[in-house]
Amino acid sequence: MINHDPGSSPPLLSVNKLRVSFRVGSGINLPVIDTADFILEPQGSLGLVGESGSGKTMLCRTLIGTLARHGAVINGGNITFSGQPITNLGESEWRKLRGHQIGYIPQSSMAGLNPILTIKSQLSEVVKHSTGGSESEVRREVLGLLERVRIPRPTAVMRSRPHQLSGGMRQRVIIAAAIAQGPKLLIADEPTTALDVTVQSEILALINELREELGMALLLVSHDLAVIEEMCSLMAVMYAGATVEVGPTENLISSPNHPYTRALNTSRTDKARPGDLLESIPGDAVSVGHWPNGCRFWPRCPIADLDCQDGLQPDLLAIEQRASACIHSDRMEVTD
Amino acid sequence: MQGIIKQVGSFFQHSLVSRVLQAVLVSFFLLTIVFFLLRLIPGDPAMVLLGENASMGQVEEYRKLLGLDRPPMEQYVDYMSNAFQGDLGVSILRRQSVVKIIASRLPVSLWLAGSTVAMVFVLALPLGLLAAVYHRTWFGYFFRVTTSIAISTPIYFTSLVILLLLAVKLDLVPIAGYDPEFPKNLRTLFAPALTNSILLAPVLARILQASVIDTMEEEFVEAAIVRGVKPLRFMWHYLLRPSLAPCIAALGYFAATVVSYGVLIEIIFNLPGVGMSLIEFVRAFDYTAVQGFVALTGLLVVATTLLADLLNAWLDPRANLK
Ligand SMILES: Nc1ncnc2c1ncn2[C@@H]1O[C@H](COP(=O)(O)OP(=O)(O)OP(=O)(O)O)[C@@H](O)[C@H]1O
Ligand SMILES: [Mg+2]
Repeated sequence: MINHDPGSSPPLLSVNKLRVSFRVGSGINLPVIDTADFILEPQGSLGLVGESGSGKTMLCRTLIGTLARHGAVINGGNITFSGQPITNLGESEWRKLRGHQIGYIPQSSMAGLNPILTIKSQLSEVVKHSTGGSESEVRREVLGLLERVRIPRPTAVMRSRPHQLSGGMRQRVIIAAAIAQGPKLLIADEPTTALDVTVQSEILALINELREELGMALLLVSHDLAVIEEMCSLMAVMYAGATVEVGPTENLISSPNHPYTRALNTSRTDKARPGDLLESIPGDAVSVGHWPNGCRFWPRCPIADLDCQDGLQPDLLAIEQRASACIHSDRMEVTD
Repeated sequence: MQGIIKQVGSFFQHSLVSRVLQAVLVSFFLLTIVFFLLRLIPGDPAMVLLGENASMGQVEEYRKLLGLDRPPMEQYVDYMSNAFQGDLGVSILRRQSVVKIIASRLPVSLWLAGSTVAMVFVLALPLGLLAAVYHRTWFGYFFRVTTSIAISTPIYFTSLVILLLLAVKLDLVPIAGYDPEFPKNLRTLFAPALTNSILLAPVLARILQASVIDTMEEEFVEAAIVRGVKPLRFMWHYLLRPSLAPCIAALGYFAATVVSYGVLIEIIFNLPGVGMSLIEFVRAFDYTAVQGFVALTGLLVVATTLLADLLNAWLDPRANLK
């Protein structure tokens, strides 16, 4: 796996050979993550990319301990947070971690806030004086939170309900709720999809500012390589439930060691010039329950051979700072 | 708080006018249909009242006395113009003002309906919520099976079981009859309301369960769990309130069912309500009384719908936008 210098302090988050399955019947499991492997240092940033259905959101839910309510369980590997194992935490232990140590921005900014409560009512759940504080104390702290996420006219926003705000404003409120208790890790599941480009860059800039201010690490899920490139020093590529390549973002983008990473790169729209032919990845993404034997990417892979089609999904193989699950990564240069 | 009162207030003003219009229209159509349907049924009140031995001449004379010999259209116009002035005529059977009969019978039925609806909600809300939260466990399975049984059991059987259990075995409630005094009447209403609730609460609980399961999939619930919202607040504001709309909408359906089951239950438990006398009036072809009772039912159903709208506006502020 990826090297971690044993002399230094423990990593903030380490996910080792993690496997997660849906429980579809008594004793029957449907794997959705198999296997995920990566390490995130304190104050570090890691981008998680992969096609729709590759299991990114389920991975986030594993890290906030809400698998059970989605009918899923961890059935392999382990996770540590600040050196403590969190693989088998009970609900009461999770309650101490969530919010205080790990903040979460859900996937949809439209549905991320309770539609029937005012912004003030929702934010007052997370401020210091939420219990036992006077009305004016709570109000002051909620105002302070809204100012921290640079919301214009905070007094008016406080009184409104989510449907009265724009997408960007809603996302700022969601971010405010996620960072209010000063977490060490912020998990953001596609925080800027559904937002237009200018709002998107404002939100990303805000997340960066808050990270610096609070010394927070970031796990950012995105479809968009450009966003990951801008925000994250590390990157993990997911395909059909497996992290197939992990390493420094710039290296993975300039010289991918896995054909799927390369395919993501060549299908990028933001780097294309007018007149360029955009290459899309051939074939369809494989869905949960329909993973092929061997390397799960082989049916769509340009360099696959018979060796790729048997056995299990190959493990990540570490070379210096990065790791790839392609057994033919040495051929990558040649076929370019 | 003030904001809510203001919102509900303006909503009320706006919708009250349209609801009153709706009530008038519904009652108008109901009355029209019932008026002509009653007269299509073979037989008439004069024959019933005079008995089998009366001669044709006597029957004819009596019909004339009641004004039933006139052309139906003429009777209809007469009746309707009086009805809209609040005069529902005189019962043929009782020779008493229909409005007065209703006024004496209605409180019992309203008490029965009110305690039924209260009991239905008290049973269905926690049941539906639990069934949603634990739908992946044995409780979800148990819930599906028991609600199916409860829904498909005929009302006369349910009432019999309840009477045997509560009145005969445990001696907690009287077997039948009614005590009109306020706190005491609740004891006499307990068994009838429970019978009706056992048929209706499972329906409502299932609607709620499906709705809460949908809500639980929402991202704002996930975010609230991560924020660590306090359990009671979470249950009410994050699970129940966003899921209540379909239940409130079902209240309209319930209004009609509570009234129609109410008739049966009043007979089974011998409660002197509207339903019990309705049967008597139908048997006697008491046109005016039946018409009056039907108009009343229409008004009740429309009133419940208005109540449902108001509840909805309070629970879900988004509803005000529409
Ligand atoms: N309750 C469930 N039972 C079975 N399969 C499920 C269930 N919930 C989700 N899935 C499947 O699990 C897979 C992973 O879902 P996940 O939401 O983690 O994907 P994702 O990578 O976040 O995709 P996207 O980019 O669209 O958000 C999907 O194929 C989805 O269809
Ligand atoms: Mg997702």
